[in-house]
Amino acid sequence: MSQVSISERAAASGEMPVARSPYFVRKKKGITPRTVAILAFLTICALFFCVPLYVVVVTSFKTMDQIREGAIFSLPHIWTLEAWDHAWNRACSGIKCDGLKVGFWNSVFILFPSLILSISLAMVTGFALALWNVRWAGAFLFLLFICAFVPFQIIMYPLIVMTTTTKIYGTLWAVAVIHAVLAMPVLTLIFRNYYKDIPTEIMSAAMMDSGSFWRIFFEIIVPMSGNILIVVLILQITSIWNDYLIGVTFGGLTGQPMTVNLANLITISTGTTNYAHNMAAALLTAIPPLVVYFLVGKLFVQGVTAGAIKG
Amino acid sequence: MLKTILGGFTAALMLSSAANATDLIIYHNWSSGPEVAALNVLKAGLEAKGHTWTDIAIPHDTGSNVNLMNLVTGGTPPNVFLESSPGVYRDLAGLGLARPLTEFFTEQGILDHYPASVVSSITVDGEIMKVPTAIHIDGMAYYNMEVAEAAGVDPATWDSLDAMFADFQKVRDAGYIPLAIGGQQWQVGYLTHALAAATGGPEFYSALYGAEPDPSVLDSAEMRALLETLRRFQQEADEGSVNREWNVTTNMVITGQALMQIHGDWMKGEWTAAGKVAGTDFGCVQIPGAKAVPVTVDSWGILGGQPEEVDAAELDFAAVVADPQIQAEFASAKGSTPTRLDAPAEVLDACSVEVLHILENADHQVPNPHSTVDADWQNSIWDVVFNFWSDPSMSVDDAIAQIQENYDIILG
Repeated sequence: MSQVSISERAAASGEMPVARSPYFVRKKKGITPRTVAILAFLTICALFFCVPLYVVVVTSFKTMDQIREGAIFSLPHIWTLEAWDHAWNRACSGIKCDGLKVGFWNSVFILFPSLILSISLAMVTGFALALWNVRWAGAFLFLLFICAFVPFQIIMYPLIVMTTTTKIYGTLWAVAVIHAVLAMPVLTLIFRNYYKDIPTEIMSAAMMDSGSFWRIFFEIIVPMSGNILIVVLILQITSIWNDYLIGVTFGGLTGQPMTVNLANLITISTGTTNYAHNMAAALLTAIPPLVVYFLVGKLFVQGVTAGAIKG
Repeated sequence: MLKTILGGFTAALMLSSAANATDLIIYHNWSSGPEVAALNVLKAGLEAKGHTWTDIAIPHDTGSNVNLMNLVTGGTPPNVFLESSPGVYRDLAGLGLARPLTEFFTEQGILDHYPASVVSSITVDGEIMKVPTAIHIDGMAYYNMEVAEAAGVDPATWDSLDAMFADFQKVRDAGYIPLAIGGQQWQVGYLTHALAAATGGPEFYSALYGAEPDPSVLDSAEMRALLETLRRFQQEADEGSVNREWNVTTNMVITGQALMQIHGDWMKGEWTAAGKVAGTDFGCVQIPGAKAVPVTVDSWGILGGQPEEVDAAELDFAAVVADPQIQAEFASAKGSTPTRLDAPAEVLDACSVEVLHILENADHQVPNPHSTVDADWQNSIWDVVFNFWSDPSMSVDDAIAQIQENYDIILG
């Protein structure tokens, strides 16, 4: 439309259309008051959001004597790693004082089976619903959509009974499986929406070549899923790692994740509180998802723009 | 048929191997240093009887204790659980898993050694269901002795709240905050029932916080006096009090910025963690002129419906907890007060001795609402008094009207 109008105007004025003059000419600007103002504003915003983080980090390096003085913004008089060491190796979760490392490994052992289970199941289901003629696919999708909005608390007791009858209640497996099951509706919808944009020509060609559901899935669909896999991975890692309620409900005696240990350390109503230990423990618990974000954050944005939000 | 044979076989195996050594699963929410030290006292006692201790710590305090009931539903109930709320015991009774202890306690003759408020705290619907392990008084005044000396006041001589408030100007003139208060909902709630006992006395208190609250006291002279005292406290609170944690508040007193704090006496843990000694660095008195003190009793419950040898081991645990010597060691490790009046005094600090002395008088004590009252009713009172606290323009009449309305909704 705009191109037509340009060439029309060009023809009307008797000029030749300009060959390839760039559309966006960026003038090199010097530093204007406007940029300074914007930068200053953004810096203040960043500082504002960093203040709590600053307090957490600094407090974790202080001694309890200094914390009792109450000046939360001051730097530590003596920098000490004692709190970090304590949180990782000696923090008590009940009478067992083995630190957060116990919960850390529990969280890791919950994370991997849960990721594999939830993502592989959701991928296959999404693929089938998007590209194959499945009976009742619409109704099934609608049902999934509804399920995505059911709060965990409502189905907690039935789930406990189900895990008990399958003899996994109170183990890491229960936590992992429940995470996978609860994530299914949303993940399936994400995959299904991503796959439904795959051109039908590709599918037709693939059908002619082999026609096998699994061959198409492994040789065509999986290689094309890179972007969306990153998105789903980050979503799942964050939600599984940060979860407390499922871990505390299904972990039983031995399968409690790191967040439960952290809560044991920190939710003290009538006992003494060591803030340095609490801050170090909170940071330790928060580090793994942060690392994931830093490593693949860029890919996350790519994935979101490539698939999930595409109309 | 095979099943019964197998069942009998495993039962016989368990009997033979576990006749004297049983593994008990202990459920609690204690993780802080003093709490763990205290648990280790119990653990040593249990191991001395030949049993083992498997620990599970889950943060609870939800009032209805969902986590505990989840474990029960999941088929892995703990043998012993730290739990005060009577609702949990009623739920367990509904599942056939309650274990009344009335017989056990009367046989051992332990009940005579407990203060009256402890006995009422561990009783649910007429049966003794809990094993009391530690006492805390909900409203104790802890003061910094150095500050008291510098300001020229002696909290131990105050015989009424008026005498206390009258001395505050002196403290201010000397450059200290007289009263450090942490203005959070639960702290105001605790202060309210501590003051209800202190100003209204046991009868008013149990009409308000008993198992069956009496609506006629909601608009009484005592209720008005209580709310007015609460307003007085709110106005004495320092500027930083809003939403301040109790232990931060305690540290203001420890570091000598403030003279005193009125709060549950678990704050003693903070004092001892800071290396202070009761009786020389800090003193403790009940709320000046108190007619009664509310007593928080931390209690264990034990699981019913168990095989005989497990039940015997659970009773061994109860016996360990109730032992006077272990009581004293437990209390000095945790910073609490023993549940037994006959606990050996030489192990105890000055504050615990003072508390046990107060508790000798059976008429001068009432149980903490958590172990007697309907949780909804308690929460509704907390809501109203916290609104009252936070909004100085709210009148005593408004507060009373709201409490009455809540009564009609919840219990009426």
